Amino acid sequence: MRIRDLAIYFGFDKLQRLYQDVKIHGGLLMAIQKFRRFDDLKSGRLIGQDKYGNKYYENLYYFFGRSRWVEYPEYKNCEMDGSQVAPEWSGWLSYRTDAPPYADPIKIYTKYKWMLDHSENLSGTKHAYMPYSTTKPKIEAWVPKKDD
Amino acid sequence: MLRNTLISSNSLIAKNQSQLLKVCSVTATNNQKRDQKTMPVVDRANPEKLAASAFGWKQSNWADWTVARLDDLLNWGRKGSIWPLTFGLACCAVEMMHIAAPRYDMDRYGVVFRASPRQADCIIVAGTVTNKMAPALRKVFDQMPEPRWVISMGSCANGGGYYHYSYSVVRGCDRIIPVDIYVPGCPPTAEALMYGVLQLQKKVKRMRTLQMWYRK
Repeated sequence: MRIRDLAIYFGFDKLQRLYQDVKIHGGLLMAIQKFRRFDDLKSGRLIGQDKYGNKYYENLYYFFGRSRWVEYPEYKNCEMDGSQVAPEWSGWLSYRTDAPPYADPIKIYTKYKWMLDHSENLSGTKHAYMPYSTTKPKIEAWVPKKDD
Repeated sequence: MLRNTLISSNSLIAKNQSQLLKVCSVTATNNQKRDQKTMPVVDRANPEKLAASAFGWKQSNWADWTVARLDDLLNWGRKGSIWPLTFGLACCAVEMMHIAAPRYDMDRYGVVFRASPRQADCIIVAGTVTNKMAPALRKVFDQMPEPRWVISMGSCANGGGYYHYSYSVVRGCDRIIPVDIYVPGCPPTAEALMYGVLQLQKKVKRMRTLQMWYRK
């Protein structure tokens, strides 16, 4: 048995991988910054970037379902949301197609001119949609009084 | 917004017409802007930077700042361990089981199903609430300790859904308990419910428990 096999048997290659990941992210401090935002430290091949600044990565070392991921731009800090992903990248990210949008022969996402621009989910922000009614309500709410 | 336009134009009738027209056109363009609100394309040179905290870092004095940081800590703890009570009433419950299964794996967000309302933070109402079930739902909700949240899952729990006109169905569980997150769908996918849980986490992140206490 070689030393390499022995290291793999005891799981030391994972430590080596961690060291490499930290090195790729540009040092311990940068790696900690990354981990704070994404709760994960993955390194992969940069597939592309959308107009919002999201970066899309792939690394087939990880299991199916974790092998593609998005890194949200830094100005968003911890305010991350799945709806911030650009619509043309959504198919690639959820494994509906293997080709990124710029090289997709079947064009699973086509932008027509009558389509509105994509918007992230604005619930909970000051831009949230608040409907109101201009008609008289059909039911009257019961306001209990003390002598009732 | 429409009402505002009417009121402003009524109050301005006495004034000269050109000014009125100007005001109307201004409000009209504002309407258009608001209705067509989309996510702005990022100005890469200087994008709007968000703070890590939901309350920002610029408090007016050190006491406010400290209380805000304590709130951050409290919310971080709360949002990382939302323990829901399963209230599966119909087919939505099957999707609710899926988020506990390995593919969606809710445990990675610290979401663990509890069987007792006294140990739960959150209740997921999954399915049609019938009139017969309504008192039970209210009782279970009343047994939960504060702070407590409600996720209404699926059309039936949101507003009666398919059974809206039935004689024996409550038209939405928000008639009985206060709902925080509505998850649409019939049934919603496990992914949608997961997204609902993440939205709830965002809501918990904005809670001002200690700041409100300090203000009082």
